[in-house]
Amino acid sequence: MSSVPTSLDESPVARILRRFRADPMARASVAVIVLFALLAGITPLLSALGIPWPCDPNLTVLEQKLLPPSPAHWLGTDNLGRDVLSRMLHGASISLTVGLIAVAVSLGIGVLAGAVAGYFGGKIDQILMRSVDALLCFPTFFLILTAVALLGPSLINIVVVIGLVSWTGTARLVRGEFLTLRETEYVKSARVLGQRAWTIIIRHILPNAAAPILVTAVLGIPDAILSEAGLSFLGFGVQPPQATWGNIIADGKTYLLDAWWLILFPGLAILVASLSFYLAGDALREAAESRN
Amino acid sequence: MTFFILRRLGLSLALLFLISIISFFIVTLTPGSPYPWGELNPKISAEVKANFRKKFHLDRPLPEQYALIMRDLFTGDLRSIKDDRPVLSRILERLPATLALNFTSILISLSFGTLLGVYAARNAGRWQDMTGSFVAFLFIALPSFWISYLLAIVLVKGFHVPILGTHSYGIGFPNAFAAGLDTLWHLLLPATVLAIGGIAAQSRYLRATMIGTLREDYIRTARSKGLAEETVLYKHALRNSVRPLVTGIGMLLPALLSGAVIVENIFAYPGMGRLGYEAVLERDYPTLVALNFVVAALVLLGNLLSDLLYAAVDPRVRLE
Amino acid sequence: MRTLRLFLYGIPAALLILLAAAFINATFLSVAKKNEMSIGTLGEPSTLNPIQQADSASSQVGALIFNGLIKYNQDLEVVGDLATGWKLSQETTFRFATDEAAAKALETLNTNRARPGLTATSGFSNWPIIGLLTKGTNLIVTLSQPGLKDSEDMTQALASSDLHPIPFPPLEPDGKERPFKAEPVIRFTLRDGVRWHDGAPFSSADVAFTWRAIMNEKVASPRRSDFDLVDSVETPDPRTVVVRYKKPFSPALLAWMTAILPEHLLGKLDPAKWPELYNRAPVGTGPFRFGGWRTNEFIRLKKNPDYFLGSPWLDSVVFRVLPDPLTLQLAFQTRQVDFWAVDPWSVKGLQDDPRFTLFTSPGNAYNYIGWNLRRPMFQDLKVRQALAQAVNVPQMIKYILYGHGVQSTGIFTPQMWFFDPSVKPLPFDPEAAKRLLDEAGWRPGPDGIRVKDGRRFSFTLLANNGNEVRRDIATLVQDDLKRVGIEVKVEIYEWAVLLKRFVNKGEFDAIVLGWGLGYDFDQYGIWHSSQTHPEELNFIGFSDPKVDHLLTDLRQEYARPEIIRLAGELQRTIYGQQPYLFLFVPQGSEVMWKGAYRLRHPGPDGAWIDEPVRMTKAGWSYDMEWFYRPEYPPTAKANSITR
Repeated sequence: MSSVPTSLDESPVARILRRFRADPMARASVAVIVLFALLAGITPLLSALGIPWPCDPNLTVLEQKLLPPSPAHWLGTDNLGRDVLSRMLHGASISLTVGLIAVAVSLGIGVLAGAVAGYFGGKIDQILMRSVDALLCFPTFFLILTAVALLGPSLINIVVVIGLVSWTGTARLVRGEFLTLRETEYVKSARVLGQRAWTIIIRHILPNAAAPILVTAVLGIPDAILSEAGLSFLGFGVQPPQATWGNIIADGKTYLLDAWWLILFPGLAILVASLSFYLAGDALREAAESRN
Repeated sequence: MTFFILRRLGLSLALLFLISIISFFIVTLTPGSPYPWGELNPKISAEVKANFRKKFHLDRPLPEQYALIMRDLFTGDLRSIKDDRPVLSRILERLPATLALNFTSILISLSFGTLLGVYAARNAGRWQDMTGSFVAFLFIALPSFWISYLLAIVLVKGFHVPILGTHSYGIGFPNAFAAGLDTLWHLLLPATVLAIGGIAAQSRYLRATMIGTLREDYIRTARSKGLAEETVLYKHALRNSVRPLVTGIGMLLPALLSGAVIVENIFAYPGMGRLGYEAVLERDYPTLVALNFVVAALVLLGNLLSDLLYAAVDPRVRLE
Repeated sequence: MRTLRLFLYGIPAALLILLAAAFINATFLSVAKKNEMSIGTLGEPSTLNPIQQADSASSQVGALIFNGLIKYNQDLEVVGDLATGWKLSQETTFRFATDEAAAKALETLNTNRARPGLTATSGFSNWPIIGLLTKGTNLIVTLSQPGLKDSEDMTQALASSDLHPIPFPPLEPDGKERPFKAEPVIRFTLRDGVRWHDGAPFSSADVAFTWRAIMNEKVASPRRSDFDLVDSVETPDPRTVVVRYKKPFSPALLAWMTAILPEHLLGKLDPAKWPELYNRAPVGTGPFRFGGWRTNEFIRLKKNPDYFLGSPWLDSVVFRVLPDPLTLQLAFQTRQVDFWAVDPWSVKGLQDDPRFTLFTSPGNAYNYIGWNLRRPMFQDLKVRQALAQAVNVPQMIKYILYGHGVQSTGIFTPQMWFFDPSVKPLPFDPEAAKRLLDEAGWRPGPDGIRVKDGRRFSFTLLANNGNEVRRDIATLVQDDLKRVGIEVKVEIYEWAVLLKRFVNKGEFDAIVLGWGLGYDFDQYGIWHSSQTHPEELNFIGFSDPKVDHLLTDLRQEYARPEIIRLAGELQRTIYGQQPYLFLFVPQGSEVMWKGAYRLRHPGPDGAWIDEPVRMTKAGWSYDMEWFYRPEYPPTAKANSITR
């Protein structure tokens, strides 16, 4: 309903932005996201430039293993003496990368599948939706494990696999939008005018479905981050010595009863990052759908 | 009606087979072999391994293996590679625990989720709604392993309470009631952790639907008729917003099984999630195929049931 | 609508109340401990039929339910279990063309052997002959000690009298002809008055049946190769078992520690039915009887009041399956389990805690890095020695094991009687490593990584996931080798994948692994050059003729001093070749709530000894059947002890 252009003087994009900005929770979560992105982005940059802060996340100093937070190590050290704060900062960039790329993959497949199903309908729709149903019957963990075992546990493989497993929600949503939008006057007249299917899809329908798709994308990022954390925790994540939030907890599993900092901080980071994306995505959805 | 059910059953069956074929090929193509005694054991000769392979048809081509496994599954003779017991007994002995866990978890999600959802919808737009949203998203964003560990650590170090397995060991209870409470305690913990995400999801669904319902004309009519707000809310709005709850239940099962892997491991709870996880690690193909089959069957059954329920609840819906 | 409201608020309220009540119940109301021992295990036994499993979880449980013919005592010496005694002997058979030739051979040997009056020092041969007879064209010599040397001596003596026995065909298809047949014989005398858990009497028929079952293809026993050389098992009477072997093989005796199965239950039962009818509810002769198994949850054993050494004091033992290491710790902290295998990090804290007793024992395993000797870069001995000296093993022990370990000097572990303490470990010396690498032709390249013939010294080190120690080792090795100019990439795979994709095919560069050793000195499978095919244990491709010889000689040597000498030489030779980077032998620690258990067992003179649970060479849990809880002291009336 909101995606049909009205005669108001505001463009839809501006209207959405206005409503979004008005929501205090949205503003707060965007602030956190920006902070997170900054930290994730700056850390590799700093090390590329040779600046010694944060300290080397892979520097093992065995004499300093498992130290609690102190002025020297703000978040303590892990079981090999590596500084937890710096590992978390480097882990932030991994998490962000995973979130973005996995969502990109799942979006790509999902939008394509949903568009084709929604626009062409009929048999194609049936087949696609049945495949979606079938996929939803699998416990996803098992698929991920198999894929990672087959392809090898590198960052790219994990990201692609997470993406491949999560496109169904997007597909369903996009299909729904397309089904509705296909019946609008606008599209019908384009068809009558003889425009080709793919042109119609890309130039006419897709932009109007952009808002819900964007919302799904934003909401998909924390799902990917949480999946990656779960994978690392089970031991199927990225290789050592690379740090991710999930594997800081996993590496320290045996020491957790005494080294509480190894579980508290990475867990909080995962929580706060995911939460901000969820809140931002939800606020975006509200902004896109509300009536004023 | 009967026609609908039959058609759905037929479709589901076809889907079921498709799923089992796909999952079988995925697992068998994964590198790794299912020897139960550890491959680098100096005492196991190549001959023993060859005999083992022959016994479980591992030396036949894949499609033949699949056919043999399917045949054994339906004659009830399918044996697990791990301990040579019938797979169905292995699954069935976990079923009560899994059902108890899932049922309790769904109960918790539905009851608390509905409360939260109604509360949010009723105060839509105000600070109570925002708090409700915040709490819901907080629950979704909580990594399950993190909250499990934190909970476990707090309960053990802080209160010295036993939390693992299905009941406490080595302790004599004064009466059956106390023993029953003990079992309940051990069940409630993992069920609660699993339910956290469900609470959030259900409350969001309900809130969204109810807000939509509350805008409908008949609600305005009811209000203008002078009915109490409570009646309006519960008798009319809630009734009509029940749909997503009902359909949502069907989809919960695979999610619960996946999520349960971590929780069952941490709380040492003997459910099907752990069975599947260990079967994957051990490449116990027969168990995996059977498990996938059972899970898919349950899911499809759940879908069918929720569609039927939906039709029963909402007379406007016609089953096509 | 009232009802709806009731549901809506009622259910959550009820759940909260239940939760609170259950919490209070769990915290305050739980009372008396039962007379039961709880043991937490990470892995679950796959089956309780001892001859069909080889994992440690199953062995732990099986040890309480079953007995073998022999066992280790607390000093790791072989003593009788179901057997009260055994005698080794050997039958060497020579065959000749005619009966007369055989009789003449008997004469010759009889004349040459040492006897009272005709001693070895007076020039007669010191063969330990206890029987000499002819059977047609065969001459059968019974020796009181198995081995090949004496028989070879006798062949020489016969040859010098111009008597040449007709050779026997080889034992293996690609073996050599044998001038004589040497068949070791073990004669076991079985204990009297032993009963199975269901009351049936134990006899030699059970032993014979166990052997047949192990060799039965349908049983698919992983222990079969231990008994490959057994020619026959005879039972002349219910208390005697005579086992005959095809050729001398010294580790053969130890194989009889395997559990004995009941013939009266399994003899007529098709092995296909064993999993449902026996393996989940086994019947044995041991101190505890099977009492119940809930898969993935627990296995319960109940005491056997008719045990032949006397009834155990505990009523029951429960093995709880707790797969997550953190929660296993938690279970210990809440006294849900009474013992916990401590990881090294926590040992320090627990050592000083007065609530606990700590038991530390040397492990029977060592960790290593295996170099794939098929890769050109690892084929130079200097390179391997350099690698060994570049890695700081003492530091690894200090920080990964918290000092609970010993640097490994080869293929044996320090507590075994055939270990050679004179083999010294290579020192940590990065400078020496650099020199050796330079000498081998590896010079530092532009990026700090060494180069030779245009190739950089870079390789991939594999490890399996789920094992923190190995993961930490890999990371530390990566660091240490970087400092001498070698680039290491670490890749971690799931165990099954690691084996199938890399190890079994021999396609890897280097891998972090460990060997859990048995209590014997036979390492043929790991080091012999014939064991390098896919899926065999010599997956690094090691081949040394001297080592091959030592391995086969060891298998045929029965005399203890000789074994020590050969084993020492084997250890020294292999260590010198550095086919592995031998890392360390970890010490295992287990902690128990102090005073949770005490021990009351029969002493050597028949009187009872009452003491706290103590550490022995065989571990702290040796004699578990004699543990008791102080809340349930053993009754004054002693069990009748049959020894």
